[in-house]
Amino acid sequence: MRRDGIRFYKGNVHILVVEDEIKMAKALQEGLEADDYAVSVAHTGEEGFYLAQSAPFDMMILDVMLPGRDGFEILSTLRQRGMKTPVLLLTSRDTLEDRVRGLDIGADDYLVKPFAFPELLARLRALLRRGKTDAAQRLKVADLEVNVALRSVTRAGELIELTAREFDLLYYLLLNRERVVSREMLAREIWKEVARQTPLDNVIDAQMVRLRRKIDGQFEKKLLQTVRGVGFILREEQL
Amino acid sequence: MIRLRPTHLRTRLTLWFVSALAGLLILGWGATVAILFRQLQSQLDHFAIQEIETVEGLMYFTPQGELQMHEDYHNHPESKDVIDRFLEVLSPGGAVLYRNDRLGERRLGGAPFAGEGVGGYSVRSERLADGTRVRMVSRLHSLDGRPLLIRLAHSEEPLWSRIDELSLASLLALPLVLALAGFAGYGLVRRALRPIELMARRAQEITPQRLHERLPNNNADDELGQLARVFNETLARLEQAFEQLRRFTADASHELRTPLAAIRSVGEVGLQKDGTRAEYRDIIGSMLEEVNRLTSLVDNLLTISRADAGSLQLERVPIPVMQLMRDAAALFEVLAEEKALTLTLSGDEAAAVRGDPLFLRQAVVNLLHNAVKYSPAGGTISARVGGRADKVTIEIEDGGPGIPAEDRPKIFDRFYRVDKARWRESGGAGLGLSITKWVIEAHGGGVELDREITSGCLFRIQLPRDSPL
Repeated sequence: MRRDGIRFYKGNVHILVVEDEIKMAKALQEGLEADDYAVSVAHTGEEGFYLAQSAPFDMMILDVMLPGRDGFEILSTLRQRGMKTPVLLLTSRDTLEDRVRGLDIGADDYLVKPFAFPELLARLRALLRRGKTDAAQRLKVADLEVNVALRSVTRAGELIELTAREFDLLYYLLLNRERVVSREMLAREIWKEVARQTPLDNVIDAQMVRLRRKIDGQFEKKLLQTVRGVGFILREEQL
Repeated sequence: MIRLRPTHLRTRLTLWFVSALAGLLILGWGATVAILFRQLQSQLDHFAIQEIETVEGLMYFTPQGELQMHEDYHNHPESKDVIDRFLEVLSPGGAVLYRNDRLGERRLGGAPFAGEGVGGYSVRSERLADGTRVRMVSRLHSLDGRPLLIRLAHSEEPLWSRIDELSLASLLALPLVLALAGFAGYGLVRRALRPIELMARRAQEITPQRLHERLPNNNADDELGQLARVFNETLARLEQAFEQLRRFTADASHELRTPLAAIRSVGEVGLQKDGTRAEYRDIIGSMLEEVNRLTSLVDNLLTISRADAGSLQLERVPIPVMQLMRDAAALFEVLAEEKALTLTLSGDEAAAVRGDPLFLRQAVVNLLHNAVKYSPAGGTISARVGGRADKVTIEIEDGGPGIPAEDRPKIFDRFYRVDKARWRESGGAGLGLSITKWVIEAHGGGVELDREITSGCLFRIQLPRDSPL
């Protein structure tokens, strides 16, 4: 499955996944492959360490809690040996000390389990995009067009009035179009909410209802779709 | 250096006791000996003074000018040997005029000092050339118009040997006395410490499963009774904490089980029949919804357990309260509009508190969220910021159904929900208010539900005001 658009070509982006949990590793592999990444999986720290040293990868997803040598240890050794590959740490411990420690020893990002898969994909894209700019000023899906410079939105040529928050929301969905965006991602990126516990889901849902009313209301083709249990997606193709 | 330190308290106490006793005995013995010696000495002095009187009467000058002593008063010649005095007579210039046989060639004291024996008796201790310790009395006497310094002494040696004998006897008796006292003391200490031993044994048997047990407390007023009381109070607190933890764990498991059961049923039912793609998506979606619920539940539980463990670090920065409230209220603007709620915010723009912005925001967000959730469409929610000199008060009032009086004391309890059936659609596990309570209390404030109000809810937060200094 290859997608068009502004996204870079990913077929030859090679990701190393180091994860001891078999189910989790399999889900990661399948999910990433479905998103056109080439994936190698290591089930132990030693194997991951060996693989990371023997072949060049574009990205490494490293579980912190590994039997034997843990993720922190592997990462710091790899960094000491000069490995530059971006590393995303996965952990089930969400403490500030862990986060700081991870970033200190050279992790590029940090994701707490359980996470939403779209979130992982978004983080990976952000890491791969690092240093490159998204210069897209006009974005569109079907007949919905957004002019970023003017902050204006049109559907089928007709201007749609959006509040600032609605515009940010639409813009974010458009940047990630044809990808599922989770409520956590929205809470963090649009509402700038840091604490995971903040009861924002109702708020996000209500905001989505309004946005949908404005951009999809009188049109037959609904672009803003809800993916039950995960989040939202902006795309032309109907479920 | 290795310091020897007996491990048992009873041994240590006994050792202290015995050494204190030894010290006291030695001190007492020393004082006794000194007093005795002084007394004997003064008797000796008294005796010497009487003898001087006698000697004065016996002295005479021979026609050649030699000083002599009448010795013919003895009834028996051998009586001369009985005399144990040392006698020396000097001229005021220091020339020796007479020494008795007992003294021989030895000197009795050195050269006369100024005023020796004048107008009375000079008494002092001296040592003869051969080391004999003597007690000496001197007196200036005039014989035939010539001044004579009479020195008369008695040996102190018998006194000293008496003292030495006494010392030896005491030295031999001391260890025996101390050993006896030690044994008695050890027994006494052991008896006194016995209740502690019993308490220790009982305490050892108190495991987390048997926290309801208490230490015996026979005499509440003495020190051991106090110890037992303090220990029992600690046990009571511990028992309470354990009970809380047990209840919390049970509640948490129950809350976790509910979404798990849903995931399981939905999954199992879904597998039983062949469905369309859309149906499967729906099933998976439904399961993921429960997973999200589980995730947020676990996140909340984690926050609570960290709060309980005291491992959450709170920031302390000045926070303008109105700003905080506006921020929090802005979150719910859309929801309020959808339900046609009127959300008003009023109060003191200058009010500020010091604390952790994220946690405080969470605290008021939880209250506002409840207000929005439970208000009927078209209702009003008002938030007011006020307070006194040292306090900032935040009031959040809604026009919802309110909380039944019997439930009001429990609303800040963990997992407590007023409407047990409705939580799944409104999406809460009953942890919000308990987290709010913790946050506010961790900031030195308090949160309460107004008791007077008859319709709706009025939550009142009080926090210490941040002084502008």
